[in-house]
Order: sequence, then C-alpha cells, then structure tokens
Amino acid sequence: MEWNRREFLKIAGATTAVAAFGGLGFDLRSAQAQALEQADKLKFTKQTTSVCCYCSVGCGLIASTDKNGEGKVVNIEGDPDHPISEGSLCPKGASHFQLGKNDRRIYKVLYRAPYAENWEEKSWDWALDRIARKVKDARDASFTTKDAKGRTVNRCEGVASVGSAAMDNEECWIYQAMLRAMGLTYIEHQARI
Amino acid sequence: MSGKTFFVDLSRCTGCRGCQVACKQWKNKPVEPTENTGSHQNPPDLSWQTLKVVRFTETTIDGKFHWLFFPDQCRHCLDAPCKMVGDSEVPEAIVQDPATGAVVFTDKCKGLNAAAVREGCPYDIPRVDAATKLMYKCDMCNDRVHAGLLPSCVKTCPTGTMNFGDRDEMLAMAKERLARIKPTHPKAELVDASSVRCVFLCPQPPSAYYKYVQFGDAAPPLLTRKALFAKVLRPLRAFG
Repeated sequence: MEWNRREFLKIAGATTAVAAFGGLGFDLRSAQAQALEQADKLKFTKQTTSVCCYCSVGCGLIASTDKNGEGKVVNIEGDPDHPISEGSLCPKGASHFQLGKNDRRIYKVLYRAPYAENWEEKSWDWALDRIARKVKDARDASFTTKDAKGRTVNRCEGVASVGSAAMDNEECWIYQAMLRAMGLTYIEHQARI
Repeated sequence: MSGKTFFVDLSRCTGCRGCQVACKQWKNKPVEPTENTGSHQNPPDLSWQTLKVVRFTETTIDGKFHWLFFPDQCRHCLDAPCKMVGDSEVPEAIVQDPATGAVVFTDKCKGLNAAAVREGCPYDIPRVDAATKLMYKCDMCNDRVHAGLLPSCVKTCPTGTMNFGDRDEMLAMAKERLARIKPTHPKAELVDASSVRCVFLCPQPPSAYYKYVQFGDAAPPLLTRKALFAKVLRPLRAFG
C-alpha cells in the first residue's frame, strides 16, 4: 500500500487519539499515582498534586494523605508528571513533610512587646487587629497627596512590600491589589532581589 | 539474576543534599542535633537515623583546589560481607532480596554483634540504635522499588547524579559517562563496579573523597575472620 501524506496523517491522528483517550472513563490518574499506592506505606492514601511553596521555580509535588484517618500527610515527594521539575526536588523541597508534621511547630500566636524579654501567647484576633492597626497608622502617616511640584500623586511612601514566593499567582494578585489600594509604590518580590 | 543497581555520577553532584533529605523523609527519620563542625557537611556521619549523608571534602589535587561531594550510602554488595557476618550469628537477620539484590537488615539484627557487622563492611555503613539494638542502613527503598517507584534519593535528585535501574542498563550508562568525562578528567574511574550495586563515577581519585569510597582503601582487612569463616561455611549451610 502506497501511503501519501494525507493518509499517513489520518492514521497517525487516529493512533494518537487512541493512545491519549484510551484510558478515559476508567482511570484518569497518572501511572505514578497508581504506583505510589502500591508501596506499603502509601496503600491507603490519596494522592494530590501541589506546588512547592518555597522558591519561584515552582516544582511539582505529590502529597499522599491518609484516606481512613484524618487526612494526615503520609508522604510528600516530587511529581514526575510536572513539566518544570519532572519529579526532582532540592533538599528544601524534599523536606515538605516536616512543614506540616513537626514537633517544633508553633500553634499559637507569640508576641514580644517592644523592649520585652519574653514572648507571650496571644489570640489570633488580637494579632490581626494589631497588625491592621499598625499598617493603617504607618500608611496614614506617610501618605502624600501631592509631590514637591504640586502634582497629585496620592501615594504611600512609608511602606514597602517584599514578597512572597510562598504565594501562588492568584494570592499575589489579591495581595498587590490590596497594596495598591493603600497607595503603595514599593511593591517587590523577593525572587527578583 | 541481574537485579537493580544505582549509578552515582559524581561529576554531576552539586552537594545540594536533596537525596539526604528525601531519604529521611521517606523513612520518617528524625533530625540530628546540628552543630557547627566547620564543614558544610551535616550531620557529620551516618547514624541509625541518617541512612544517607553527603560528605563534603576540601582538598588540593595537583595544585588545584577541589570541593568534593560524596553521597555516601550502602553499596548493596553482590556478595555482602555484612550478610556473611550476620549469617554466622543469626541466620536471616540480614537478607538479600533475590528480585532486586537489595541487602536488607531485618528486626532479627537485634541479636547481632553490631560492631562485628560494621567492621565487616568495607564501606563502614551499618549503624546501630543503642537504645533498641536494632541495626539500620539504606535498604534500596525496596518497598518503593517493588511498587515500581525509584528509590527516594534517586527520585529527588535534580542534577542526574543519582540514577537507578536494571543492573546492565546502569553499568552501560556508567561506562558511557566514564568515556564522556575521561578526556577532561583523565583520573576518572568507576568504583568497584563489578562487586556492588551502587556504582560511583569518581572524576577524582576515590580516596580523595572519603576513606571508605573504594573496597580495601581503608586499613581494616578485606574480610574479617568471622566473615571469612561464614563464607567458607555457606555452601554447607545451604545443603544442611
């Protein structure tokens, strides 16, 4: 049989479609996720993909959480299907597990007053109110409506923001919208410094 | 039986220690107390809760400074001296997986003389938990391998230093990499490739990295009397 280009493309297309959708309707999970479940430790876990929270490279993670228990994290490792990291993780990324499960984790707000030597426990309400108060005071104190030449600027020059690589795209958008609403002009991200 | 093998390409290692952390992560091992020892190496040695450690060495070779990284771990010897010592005391305390070739310490290691097992290892790998008397070392992530996954350290390696697969594939890759770097690193060599399942490609002489990189580099005898005895007895035991 003589194959012309058109015929070849038709058959190649059909083969690709079968390869791509052949598994549809049965199992959408990647082979990696299935293999993970077979390891004893991960037998009764559910796999969820995520993105490393540390630097701006954005390596992919697979988090395995307990299906029967309280959804506790059992294992976190690199996601081989991720286009950026292809399963690899640096030491910081590989240590994700202890971010959640760690006996040194602090569960309550700790506050050290100016000139105080000791930390004291506070409530979240207290802490958030205080942060909001401080931000508002600093912003109001350094807000300028006109520059030296008398032009209207309406900007806040006394507050700068640096961060955060721990935020995803959407969180960054909301964050910068809030900063601009306050009039900030010094908005930077530590990944660029 | 060809089993599995690690190929560790030290010409690619940047000393990031991803493997060391990933190992600890999968094995759920606690951290070691950190002290400044004057080196970036941390912790300073393997222990029952640190099964893999990247050793950092600053050295001068032929008048040129080198900062060498050596991700140290069990070599899973084809004919493991630790198993010979173990078998002579408690049979089945140290076992070898026929499918993968992994040398695995079981709970029965409690009954072993830990010092003798460690002495029997040419690479100084086995460690004991003083509290429980259980012995620990790398088990090739045998559970993961049987589930079709790569060992934790290999999976995480961002540079391609750590490789894992069927033995013949890994040996072929090792030979190819050696040939590739030979022109720029004439001293490069594959360490103990014919006798272990963790083959290191050292661009510099193996002894420059650490004293237990190569079989027989360090002073102790190749086989302790006990191991030798066990080896001689082994065929008898197989039939008995």
